[in-house]
Amino acid sequence: MENILEVKNLHVSFDTYGGEVQAVRGVTFDLKKGETLAIVGESGSGKSVTTRALAKLIPSPPGRIKEGEILFEGKNLAQLSEREMQKIRGKDISTIFQDPMTSLNPTMKIGSQVMEGLLKHHKISKKEARKRTLELLDLVGLPDAEKRIDQYPHQFSGGQRQRVVIAIALACGPKILIADEPTTALDVTIQAQILELMKDIQKKVDSSIIFITHDLGVVANVADRVAVMYAGKIVEIGTADEIFYNPKHPYTWGLLGSMPTLDNEEESLVAIPGSPPDMLNPPTGDAFAARNEYAMEIDFVEQPPMFKVSDTHYAATWLLHEHAPKVEPPLAVQSRMKDNLHANVPGERKKEGDRS
Amino acid sequence: MSKEKLLEVKNLKQHFKTGRHTTVKAVDGITFDIFKGETFGLVGESGCGKSTTGRSIIRLYNATEGDVLFKGESVHGKKNKADLKTFNQKMQMIFQDPYASLNPRMTVMDIVAEGLDIHGLVKSPKERQARVFELLETVGLSKEHANRYPHEFSGGQRQRIGIARALAVEPEFIIADEPISALDVSIQAQVVNLLKDLQDRFGYTYLFIAHDLSMVKYISDRIGVMYFGKMVEIADSDELYKNPMHPYTRSLLSAIPLPDPDYERTRRRVEYDPEKDHDHSEEPVFREIKKDHWVLCTEKEFEQYKTEMK
Repeated sequence: MENILEVKNLHVSFDTYGGEVQAVRGVTFDLKKGETLAIVGESGSGKSVTTRALAKLIPSPPGRIKEGEILFEGKNLAQLSEREMQKIRGKDISTIFQDPMTSLNPTMKIGSQVMEGLLKHHKISKKEARKRTLELLDLVGLPDAEKRIDQYPHQFSGGQRQRVVIAIALACGPKILIADEPTTALDVTIQAQILELMKDIQKKVDSSIIFITHDLGVVANVADRVAVMYAGKIVEIGTADEIFYNPKHPYTWGLLGSMPTLDNEEESLVAIPGSPPDMLNPPTGDAFAARNEYAMEIDFVEQPPMFKVSDTHYAATWLLHEHAPKVEPPLAVQSRMKDNLHANVPGERKKEGDRS
Repeated sequence: MSKEKLLEVKNLKQHFKTGRHTTVKAVDGITFDIFKGETFGLVGESGCGKSTTGRSIIRLYNATEGDVLFKGESVHGKKNKADLKTFNQKMQMIFQDPYASLNPRMTVMDIVAEGLDIHGLVKSPKERQARVFELLETVGLSKEHANRYPHEFSGGQRQRIGIARALAVEPEFIIADEPISALDVSIQAQVVNLLKDLQDRFGYTYLFIAHDLSMVKYISDRIGVMYFGKMVEIADSDELYKNPMHPYTRSLLSAIPLPDPDYERTRRRVEYDPEKDHDHSEEPVFREIKKDHWVLCTEKEFEQYKTEMK
């Protein structure tokens, strides 16, 4: 499949009084047409900064793209001026933000907010824009659009507001949709509706989605591919099945181990000890080493390169080096794995559709 | 094994006046018991009244109607100052937002020791310091942290400070109102493991309020599901997940995404529509459908649920 976006060795730093905070330290990935790529990681791992850099939404100063390329339709976005960027932002690349309570303008009717992008990027009349807006509100499943279009954000519930935000993002038919924790502030039932909506819309408009979240359940639901970020780097990337059923990086093991499953009887959660490193002074070697029970001496000295597991699956851990000792992932993670090697591990998740 | 009731909530109602003629019935007549040493999970979507329930139990709100009995004594009854103080000591709360619930102008030492001072539990500054150090160690912090201010800590560490503060006065019953919602996944597991570990060591009883059902299942012995101010189902946590009876519980369970792509591809969500899913011929009542499994239902639904029971 063809790549719509290529990010190469992206570095983003923030200059603060305390020094240079290296939020993103060499991120490389590509986004294929029509796919959903999920980026997961803890807060502070650089996942939001990475995607904001794609839309050039990093306030500068203090932030700056220090190094690297963002290739989109033959252009390097990292080099574009603000003026050129404005033509792309909202039209080709648009963003859905986390908090629907604060990302809408409380003093504007929602209709005008959806229309804004349309009027800015397309030469159409107000009347046409309004018609298109009604279609969009319909598309995102807002009932009674004719009436709702002239209402203000406070007249909508959280889930409805997020639908409006999605309508805004979709207004110009973007090629890339960046969704930054779009469901984190919502209830599970509403979250499920929004996720279904997004998948549904993706089928209809065929855009690529970058989905940021820290909820691995949501990832399993939406993602074709998954990138796991830690301390400003992608530590593992692969298809959803590869990441969930055959994870290689100890950090991914930790993330999976700290999520309880619903049908396990007695199994303790494996918490990742400690807390993420200070990005003012990122540690030498593997940034995860200090929290990693499988860390070897080399982890504290040299950063591991990306080792290839399969054509689509790469992980940055020295454990994959040919001279590394063989280690088994923690039991809680093994029980999730589905390859033949671990077929008879006790506690294998039973396949079930019988919960309802 | 007979279980000792620590807390009895009886027909608790909490109504808020929002205008001259309008009231919000945040909690509308709920009844449940919490046994000594167990963890009772309370789940439901935002606005269903689960936090209000927690706050009414600890008397942050005065109940509109109904009563809460703690060890057989009414929480909402008349009390003199001394009684209230001893009661407050036995029940403590851990709050949702570790950023807003700690006073930014107080050192960790003073935050944790505030309860000790109020209840006169320590005699000398030396004893006070020793107790605070001990508490910090208990929750996995070190004594070097005592002289710092809240802004110097990460979210997970702050939540540990909040827990240390709640433990300081040696309570018997702790209400944890969404203690992990504001934290990262890996840190959530740390805090939940800490709460479990503390329960094993000191025998605390928890009321755990949350909307993250998978975490609630993990930590709770029994779970109550709330919907629009009413308790719709109570059961042992395994039982509730295996045999959800109330249509709302089913819809809630079917909406949880799990970290398993194969399962996610086949998951079917059940919609809940109160109009369609219920028999409206009579007021539903709370009925015991199986030992210790209670569902809010009408006579007709009761018979129907019984046949569906696995």
